[in-house]
Amino acid sequence: MSSIRKSKQVIKSSEITPESVYLNRRSVLQTIGTLSTGLAINLFANDSISANENQLNFSPNTGYSTTEPINSYEDITTYNNFYEFGMQKSDPYNYGSQFEPKPWSVKVSGEANKTGVFDLDDLIDINALEERIYRLRCVEAWSMVIPWVGIPLASIIKKLQPKLNAKYVAFETVYRPKQMPGQRRPTLDWPYIEGLTMQEAMHPLTIIAVGLYGKELLNQNGAPMRLVVPWKYGFKSIKSINKIHFQSKKPLTSWNISAPNEYGFLANVNPEVDHPRWSQARERRIGAGFFGTKQPTLMFNGYAEDVAHLYSGISLRRNF
Amino acid sequence: MKAIVRIILLVSFLPYVLLNLKAFGFFGGLGANPVEAITHDTGIWGIRFLILTLALTPLYHYSKQEVLRKLPKPIGLVAFFYVLNHFLCYAIIDQAGDLGVIVIDIIETPYLIVGWAGFLCLLAVGLASFNSFQEWFNKNRSTISGLVYTAAILGVWHFYWQEKVVSYEAVLDSVMMILLILWRLRISTEKSPS
Repeated sequence: MSSIRKSKQVIKSSEITPESVYLNRRSVLQTIGTLSTGLAINLFANDSISANENQLNFSPNTGYSTTEPINSYEDITTYNNFYEFGMQKSDPYNYGSQFEPKPWSVKVSGEANKTGVFDLDDLIDINALEERIYRLRCVEAWSMVIPWVGIPLASIIKKLQPKLNAKYVAFETVYRPKQMPGQRRPTLDWPYIEGLTMQEAMHPLTIIAVGLYGKELLNQNGAPMRLVVPWKYGFKSIKSINKIHFQSKKPLTSWNISAPNEYGFLANVNPEVDHPRWSQARERRIGAGFFGTKQPTLMFNGYAEDVAHLYSGISLRRNF
Repeated sequence: MKAIVRIILLVSFLPYVLLNLKAFGFFGGLGANPVEAITHDTGIWGIRFLILTLALTPLYHYSKQEVLRKLPKPIGLVAFFYVLNHFLCYAIIDQAGDLGVIVIDIIETPYLIVGWAGFLCLLAVGLASFNSFQEWFNKNRSTISGLVYTAAILGVWHFYWQEKVVSYEAVLDSVMMILLILWRLRISTEKSPS
């Protein structure tokens, strides 16, 4: 990816998404203290927020992007569930700088004609990058709107030529306890694993993201490449992928292993199917304000028109 | 003696002061989800002070330090202060005071039912702490104690039940509660002085 500096016409994010539609990133109370907030961020010893800020060359994709207000870069890069760095929302930001996302290679195995070890640049066509502004709904009932930069997973899969019996695609996050302090504790069974059906993997909404806000992904967002499946709960969108495996059996997934009655394989966003311990009918949109900011959760996170047909005839209550 | 109690009380409000400072952008601010940060912080300190309140009794039993006898009521009220803030943050800031929404939310959400029950126990103790009820309070210490224990158990359960993965804090608090309950049971079954 180092070949992509500010080549020819880099389309700045600011030209596509006007400042005025950015969500107000902090509460009214906190905007009073913006100066001190700015100071406070500089007090952090590391530079997680400014590291790897390489610009990406991409084209907008308005067909799949939402027009809702986008969350601020600050919110998206400082509020993360990435237990590999710790269980707090601020841990990935605070501890992410230890992680080295380059050089990066992905091991492809299983039921495909093209297996082996691939460099990041071989998998990702840098001339085909698109911006996708997607909603992301966490299973914890909060959500954001994020301007990802990436390519359809389908284009990568086509390159790898999966065989006919490859009904599922499985993914694995890198295992580096030396750089990821959270992996030294048995919070989950490391490394993190996830999977999709081949249909879901090939769907045009499913992308591999390598950037957001027009810049390369920061470590806390899953650098250098991660999955984004916007109609499913956020934990399906596995980060820092270094293994892809094509298989005929349904893959195991980390959260399902951790609590099988709470986190399923499909994990489609569904306001009608509650988590055993909390309701999924509403969510808090980060940045939407201070008072009473919960809003109704939409079926398939608002992507029902695009994906509902994949699940016709399946009971979404039993296959949660 | 009074001075020591007052100093301890002042110190116990430091987390609340810090939280307010964060709300104005100091110390890194409240983060991207300020409502969650406030709710979590007030809840955590509420449960910690509740456990501390209950731990004062065995601590006095073994150390015989007079000051420990004077602390349960004020520290208990500090705990109630944090828990009240925790509940109000949820009811007013999170749900904008919409009673209908709050009722439905609590009914739908198992860990909120537990939290609400714990809060009611603590509210009862808090109300009974007013000076006009002092006589009743002093005569019914065991009821008060039972309510505080119940509130603490429900509080820890409420905290435990809304985590995706159990945190060290939840484990620690649960262990502390179990030890306190076991100690209490042991004391109450001891008949004659040794």
